[in-house]
Amino acid sequence: MTTPKGTTFASAALRILVMVMAMIMGLVAAGCGAGDPSGTRVIVLGFDGMDYEFTRQMIERGRMPAFARLAANGGFDPLETTVPPQSPVAWSTFMTGLDPGGHGIFDFIHRDPETMLPYLSTTETAEGGTSLTVGNYQFPLLGGSVDLLRGGEPFWNVLADRGIESTIIRMPANYPPSGSATRELSGMGTPDLVGTYGTFSFYTSDVLIASKDIPSAEVHFVEPEDGAVQVRILGPDNPFLVEPEKVTSEFTLYLDPEREVAKLVAGDEERVLEVGEWTDWVAVDFELLPLQSLRGMVRFYLRQIEPDLQLYVTPTNVDPIDPALPISTPDSYAAELAKATGRFYTQGMPEETRGLQEEIFTRAEFMEQSRLAGGDVRGQYQLVLGRFDAGLLFYYFGNLDQTSHMLFRTTDPEHPEYDPETDPEYLEAVEGLYLTMDEIVAETLDAIDASGQETTLIVMSDHGFTSWRRAFHLNGWLRDNGYLRPRNAQMANDPGFLTNIDWAQTRAYGLGLNGLYLNLRGRERQGIVAPEARDALMTEIADKLLAVVDPVSGQPAITKVYRREEVYAPGEYDHLAPDLVVGYAKGTRCSSESSTGAVPRGDVIIDNLDPWSGDHCMDHEAVPGILLTNKPLQRAAPSLEDLAGAILAEFGVDEFPRPSEED
Amino acid sequence: MTLVNAVLGGLVTGLLYPFRTLPPIVGLLVVSFITAIAMLVVFRATSNQERIAAVKRSIHAGLFEIRLFNDDLRQILRSQIDILRHNLTYLRLSLVPMVWMIVPLLLVVAQLQFHYGYRGLEPGRTVLVKVRLDADAAAPRDITLEAPVGMRVETPAVWIPTLREAAWRVVAEAPGDYDLSVHVDGRTFTKAVRTSDAVIPRSPVKLAPGFVNQLLYPAEAPLPADSGLASIELTYPEREISLLGWETHWLVAFFILSIVIAFALRNRFSVVL
Repeated sequence: MTTPKGTTFASAALRILVMVMAMIMGLVAAGCGAGDPSGTRVIVLGFDGMDYEFTRQMIERGRMPAFARLAANGGFDPLETTVPPQSPVAWSTFMTGLDPGGHGIFDFIHRDPETMLPYLSTTETAEGGTSLTVGNYQFPLLGGSVDLLRGGEPFWNVLADRGIESTIIRMPANYPPSGSATRELSGMGTPDLVGTYGTFSFYTSDVLIASKDIPSAEVHFVEPEDGAVQVRILGPDNPFLVEPEKVTSEFTLYLDPEREVAKLVAGDEERVLEVGEWTDWVAVDFELLPLQSLRGMVRFYLRQIEPDLQLYVTPTNVDPIDPALPISTPDSYAAELAKATGRFYTQGMPEETRGLQEEIFTRAEFMEQSRLAGGDVRGQYQLVLGRFDAGLLFYYFGNLDQTSHMLFRTTDPEHPEYDPETDPEYLEAVEGLYLTMDEIVAETLDAIDASGQETTLIVMSDHGFTSWRRAFHLNGWLRDNGYLRPRNAQMANDPGFLTNIDWAQTRAYGLGLNGLYLNLRGRERQGIVAPEARDALMTEIADKLLAVVDPVSGQPAITKVYRREEVYAPGEYDHLAPDLVVGYAKGTRCSSESSTGAVPRGDVIIDNLDPWSGDHCMDHEAVPGILLTNKPLQRAAPSLEDLAGAILAEFGVDEFPRPSEED
Repeated sequence: MTLVNAVLGGLVTGLLYPFRTLPPIVGLLVVSFITAIAMLVVFRATSNQERIAAVKRSIHAGLFEIRLFNDDLRQILRSQIDILRHNLTYLRLSLVPMVWMIVPLLLVVAQLQFHYGYRGLEPGRTVLVKVRLDADAAAPRDITLEAPVGMRVETPAVWIPTLREAAWRVVAEAPGDYDLSVHVDGRTFTKAVRTSDAVIPRSPVKLAPGFVNQLLYPAEAPLPADSGLASIELTYPEREISLLGWETHWLVAFFILSIVIAFALRNRFSVVL
């Protein structure tokens, strides 16, 4: 028998129980509703820079059994890449099903024809507008924004409209994330906290190294006192100060030279590391105002203590646990991943290629750093794959591309820098990267088998790879042929960015890795080429470029020159597109100087002596990507442009890209 | 103090023993429940319940006045001043039981901190061990750290003269309870390390003897008085408690739960809060 009070208590408890059960059932129902109602499962693995020919040879040698299994079941074909075959261009085409004329990404670098200032093509950071100024401080009344400049519609929008889940991890040219996928983590194009694609710091007591001017790096001279150095990591400009001043985060390094070990103290975090060791991620805070700080994270590498201190610090990455920039959809997804697998590189291109180029790293050190970056991505894949239930999973791996850039000469004994003593060892490292990709495919096939669910697996790359032997100074060639006039022809170190060009006497200029622009009246700020003369000038320049012969090889240096109208659909981005796209012969690429808008002196075609020894920004027919599937696709995809449509066809979608309202 | 810590530590550990392998929130809920009841009993016994009830009635009256005479600005101001005055009285009346509760609560919180404040070391996770010397002790000629089977010392010692500190990086290789041995010029001192994730007491620092040290760090017996060491520290990772999906410090969860439970049970215990 219960008292009235007891009855009330029991009925209340019952009500709560029913409510809790209803909530649980609701959550379960929501979970069951995820994915595709039809149960279709598609996994797309994007291996940036995986070369068709290299892969084919590895498969034939029996070294890639998982790839061989795919080739036998679904097929293995070259995948036609974009014009030009550059990653931001190619991935934008892949996700939108449009050529660059449709999505507006023509190169890593674009120029604003009104100001003639170059800028990174995929993202724009806008500062806040009106602000309230109090003394030395300002308080923005409107927040700034980070805008994705890529146009077109990513193919997972169609899935979202049909209620199909999609998980898009590290898709290049998708920063900030589109927001339309169920889960997204941004990839290539994601900046560090300073707003660059990766600016590392280096602290040394070696005067010679400290005096080096290294692009994309902050090199600091430090002198240990009482066995310790107290130094600062530079952050971005403080947005609350009227006069721009960089925010900083301090850390102290206590050195024990006798034992070659040191203790690092950064805020609340402490690490002990020996010479030659990396720390894990260390959170760093940059104080903007009292009680207001910006959170980032770095890894430290203690290169040596004696005879001189050398400490490398990674670019300050956005901390996924407390992201200062929009790097995921939903916002909490980055933290969810980090809590499950640990903090990870969030900058878009984490491999420290610049460190090797500037001899801050040896090749072995670069490989170790690259392994750390690749390990983050691979470890997270296992988690994401394990959670994948239905719908679409796209996962991007960029490690192969970035590492191949630095090591591909090892595949080519005719490369001018090939070293028969040491390169064979690193050829194994390149092959090892391909073997890692094979292991990833094997893990995926095992997971598909274990799930017992019908799943389409697509393995693709955006472009291939080859050795980069010869560098072509496009702006030097334009100068020598009377199309470009430098302001100062004798300038030894042209800083680039189109600053050394006499626009009043220049008819054409090069910018980016394949772009050639006319200085067109009515489009360029100081254009001198009449629009009616455009066609004739393009024909003249293209014919001359195609006739250039490399004096060393005796072969043409350029095999294709495309007019914009030939390869790009007309549209709203015409003013950004180069007039001509230069397809360099296999093994030749635009020089780094010309690509940034400099006008180098001397010979037009030179040996490439840079550690950056592999590339793909050439004639797009010379560097196709790969396409493998575990079963024949319902719709063929001979080129990158077709692949999004083919993926959607697996979900029963007939038409992509979808016609726009204007169409 | 050592005896108090031993008794109280034994009680808290014993109380939490059945919940050690369950999610931390379960044991914390039980502790919060007991704490809430204890707070209610103490509050009832040490406070002037009649005065508190009267003051609360006066506050309510003031609120009613504001509502009734909302077109009379003078009356509203007078009522607000009255409410403020009664509130101060209420706070003064609550102070007495607070004084009674604060010391036992501090002791309990100190014990709970070592159960809920830190996560155990996961195998493979590295952690720092720091040994700091007394300010007046001579620099050691020889200082080493020895790890038992199941743990590994990964680096040589970093000796930092300015801090009078030696630091090592160690890693747990398997779950378990271990004792690290610090050898300083022929003498050996130990430091307990726990690598399981169960809710058990963990001591991040072993200190020299002293009342305050023992009060605030009760989870491990102090170093010998003549050790010449100020501390042996091991930086356990901090633990967060999930409260309905909200990850927060255990102390926040503990106080929220205790207060909510105390309010829910106040009528049953006939306590005016």
